[in-house]
Amino acid sequence: MTVSLHDRSMPAKAMGRFRPPSAFWLIAPAILFLAFFFVFPLLKLVAISLPDGSAEHYRQIFTTPVFLRVIGETFRVSLIVTVVTVAIAYPYAYAMAHGGRAALLVLTVALLIPFWVSLLLRSFSWIVLLQNTGLINDFLIAAGLIDRPIRLIRTPLGVIIGMVHILLPYAVLPLYTVMKKIDLRLMEASSICGASWLRGFARVYFPLSLPGVMASAILAFTLALGFYITPALLGSPRDMMIAQMIAGQFNEQLNFGLGAALAVVLMVLTAMAFGLFGAARAALQMRDRRKGEA
Amino acid sequence: MDRLRRVLFWVVVGLTAVFLLLPTLITVPMSFTTTSTLEFPPVGFTFEWYGKVIGAADWRAALVNSLVVALAAAILATVIGTAAALALHAHRFPGKTLVMGLLLSPMVTPVIVLAVGMYMVFSGWGLVATRLGLVLAHTVLAIPFVVVSVLASARMVNPSLAPASLGLGASRWFTFRRVTLPLIMPGVLSGAVFAFITSWDEVVIALFLADVRTRTVPIMIWNQVRTNLDPATAAVAAILIVLSALGVLLSYKIREARS
Repeated sequence: MTVSLHDRSMPAKAMGRFRPPSAFWLIAPAILFLAFFFVFPLLKLVAISLPDGSAEHYRQIFTTPVFLRVIGETFRVSLIVTVVTVAIAYPYAYAMAHGGRAALLVLTVALLIPFWVSLLLRSFSWIVLLQNTGLINDFLIAAGLIDRPIRLIRTPLGVIIGMVHILLPYAVLPLYTVMKKIDLRLMEASSICGASWLRGFARVYFPLSLPGVMASAILAFTLALGFYITPALLGSPRDMMIAQMIAGQFNEQLNFGLGAALAVVLMVLTAMAFGLFGAARAALQMRDRRKGEA
Repeated sequence: MDRLRRVLFWVVVGLTAVFLLLPTLITVPMSFTTTSTLEFPPVGFTFEWYGKVIGAADWRAALVNSLVVALAAAILATVIGTAAALALHAHRFPGKTLVMGLLLSPMVTPVIVLAVGMYMVFSGWGLVATRLGLVLAHTVLAIPFVVVSVLASARMVNPSLAPASLGLGASRWFTFRRVTLPLIMPGVLSGAVFAFITSWDEVVIALFLADVRTRTVPIMIWNQVRTNLDPATAAVAAILIVLSALGVLLSYKIREARS
């Protein structure tokens, strides 16, 4: 008797011999593990933030100036950091994509070395660099630009420098992925047609790189929202970000309900930023498809 | 005009590269200074700070904690993550996109949120201030990296090899061990390295879950940086940078071996 492998009438047991182990048993440990140690803690936070079903903590967060200021400050710093990071990442990624093999190698190494050094150590290095007797101040004084050390550490500027440094690799990689697929002959074509470099860039290259810009901006922004180590080490308590406030509620104030509510707010803000990313990507795809039809 | 633009462009790119490398590059030389404060350029040359770190009992204890936790988390995450990645690769099942989303979401959840959530839950389960608690928490963080890495390498494998082995009469276990696993090994190993480094560098969750006995190296650095900045911290930083570099080298060697 001969049976085709694809014969559906074949008994299930005989079929089983030809299938890899069933998906259920492979995936179940991961789902169970994450359900217990990842999803449950997050749900627990939601539960703690709503004692007896009362939304009092949320009301407090959205009506007290202190909390609103911290949320506002978190947005402000994240936005500045995102703009600066993407602006610096753009030419860097461009050089990686179109600057030749040697440039690609050197720039990739420069990008990946800090990527592999822990966030904590890099914040530590920035403390050393930015302190009053640090390299940056020494350099500025030696160059005659300033005559007295300027205060860089424990200021918003210090936090921004540290955060840009950490987020830069995350912003460069999506930009590079998009840019290396852009055909530079399109720019040549635009210049042959009489467009200036700037006009060609604005009308041809930049629109093509837009998906990369969007991806890196959203990645930088969502990561920036949750930063804790860098602002705690390089910033002053006055310019606190939301993550530090959450930690403070659990460590110092021992107000778990309020801390949990703040954590839920941060989680929702992060999810919203990602939702925005999905929507923006869908809009771009639609634009491209419509162009393709035209 | 064109020339000027090109020069300006490369100056900006060059400065960005310096900005990226500067903090890492100054840390290592500073650890050799003979002064009692952090100096750059360093004054003189001494291994004293390394001796101080290696000789201190609390640093040694932290190092052991870090190694044990990172190793256990890497093994756990690699086993769980590899199995999940294989299921996602080879099967269609209802809710697959949802499961994929769940597996990757620890990567995008703010760590501080995870830290306080785990702290609340783990304190009820008696897992706070234990190595086991840290291992479980770090495994959660590491699973997405393993899944991504194994999936990438499974996609490069010829999909008819496993059915061929089964068709020739091999058992599922034999097929997995002798056909599938060797083919996806580069992805599994680089996922494991990633998982190890994730745990090794992790500080926020450890701040909430560890105590004096179970604290890891990043916690020690955190305490040092918050209280006094001395060259001993730079020595620890230098040791960790070298270890990370070895990790990167290892994962590249693995990737090279694949091609």
